[in-house]
Amino acid sequence: MEYIVETHNLTKRFGKEIAVSALNLKIPKGEVYGFLGPNGAGKSTTLRMLLGLMRPTAGSVRIFGRDLKKDRISILRNVGSLVESPSYYSHLTSYENLEAMRKILGSPKEKIDEVLELVHLSKAADKKVKGFSLGMKQRLGIAMALLNDPKLLILDEPTNGLDPSGIIEMRNLIKRLPKEKDMTVLISSHLLSEIDQVATYVGVISKGKLIFQDSIKAMRKKAQLKIRLKVSDANNAYRSLLAKGIKTDYQDNIIYLYEQSDEAVAAVVEILVDEGYSVYRVEEEHQSLEDIFLKMTAGGDDR
Amino acid sequence: MISLLQSEWFKLRKSKFVFTAILLGPLITFFYALTLQPDKFGFEKIFLWEFLIAFTTLLYALHFLPLTTGILAGLICRYEHQNGGWKQLLAMPVTRNQVFLAKYTILILIALTIQLLYLLAIWTSGVLKEAEEPFPMMLLWKSIFGGWIATFPLLALQLWMSMLFKSFAAPFAVNVVFTLPAILAVNSEKFGPLYPWAQPFLMMYVSGDAENDIFFVPWEQVLTVVGGSFLIFFFGGLLYFRQKENI
Repeated sequence: MEYIVETHNLTKRFGKEIAVSALNLKIPKGEVYGFLGPNGAGKSTTLRMLLGLMRPTAGSVRIFGRDLKKDRISILRNVGSLVESPSYYSHLTSYENLEAMRKILGSPKEKIDEVLELVHLSKAADKKVKGFSLGMKQRLGIAMALLNDPKLLILDEPTNGLDPSGIIEMRNLIKRLPKEKDMTVLISSHLLSEIDQVATYVGVISKGKLIFQDSIKAMRKKAQLKIRLKVSDANNAYRSLLAKGIKTDYQDNIIYLYEQSDEAVAAVVEILVDEGYSVYRVEEEHQSLEDIFLKMTAGGDDR
Repeated sequence: MISLLQSEWFKLRKSKFVFTAILLGPLITFFYALTLQPDKFGFEKIFLWEFLIAFTTLLYALHFLPLTTGILAGLICRYEHQNGGWKQLLAMPVTRNQVFLAKYTILILIALTIQLLYLLAIWTSGVLKEAEEPFPMMLLWKSIFGGWIATFPLLALQLWMSMLFKSFAAPFAVNVVFTLPAILAVNSEKFGPLYPWAQPFLMMYVSGDAENDIFFVPWEQVLTVVGGSFLIFFFGGLLYFRQKENI
């Protein structure tokens, strides 16, 4: 798989406090990567290091396969970003804000109208940003991030301050970008529901450590309904099932079934009884993504 | 780099205060010059040009020039300090060196503009007061150019301070604290030549005994005091900006 962003043991220390600890992010090309974690987990610090706004204490960052330390300028030419609260010059209009950026980026002038249109700010093009609502500032921030037609778009909590219809619009935009513009998107959020709606890939960070990184499908799999079997001599029962070609999970004297149809469960119980094991309990265990996320981020309290 | 300069100037010129700040010194010089009566001081009208230059320099070079450059240095970082402009700017394909240099370049170009407007103010007021030809062009060029050079270290420190402090008032206060003693410094034979904030005045003040020098002060003074303080302030500010983490 081709990775657009790859970090190797990326670490940031502020004095004694370790904000980000040996992070190995891998962001595949063309995905919407959801960077998920509670507030203060180290998301923004990581994003700042990806943009070269902060120097890592240790570790390295590769973007587009190039070392950020050596090729920062040429990498940033193809990166668009919105980090934390939107940045803007309040004495300028939204058009002028984009113009000040465009001069540096060297994009064509038409690009300004295009990105304003994309975030539905065309009508406010000549209004001073001073009077904007948070939602409008957020849209302007996203327009700024898109001004250079980036190959990698980094958005930190992009739906902050948007109203419900704005949130839906933003989600649709984020989902469209990889397909239409050949972009890879990295969005961070502390809300799983936010990431769940748009991301195709997920990284979960807690207390500076990456505790999960895989496709959203793999994460959903973890969240699926499970059938728990409590039986006598569980370890041997698990082996017997395996010998019969039935794949199960075995953990702490509990057997978890993958197949969950009534027939499959009945068949398993029958085999177990036939083989002489006592079946104490057959239970359904339900876990939502939220449960998984909370369990993940609550653990690792070893610092 | 050119594009960065254009962007910096674009942001700055959209600010209401910039043109007020640029015009302040030259305008006050102009009106002050109009009120000056050479005969009251026992000067003959034939020396009107020299008289105007000498008297306005005191006000302009000692106070308005250093104070104005301080305001401009504050303005050029103000919009980055507000609303997260630094991270927006530095996440673009630019280096910190370039950003620092671009801001500094804009500042010295504005300082040059102010100097030229001062020249214009002197000339207009002289013509209105019917000063006699010839206009002492050589003398004034020396003064304009020298005063400009003398603002280099001041601007470097002012830029440093305005990057350091988020508020607009703090760097301005630092500037005032350094500017006010200049009036004492220029009266001191020992201390004056060494004090950077006294240099704009000393290098603009027309003194007859320096006909052979390029400026009105000895070369050694230009190189050591102006050049030396420039190097310290410029690289101090640049290093500070390069190290700055919390953007």
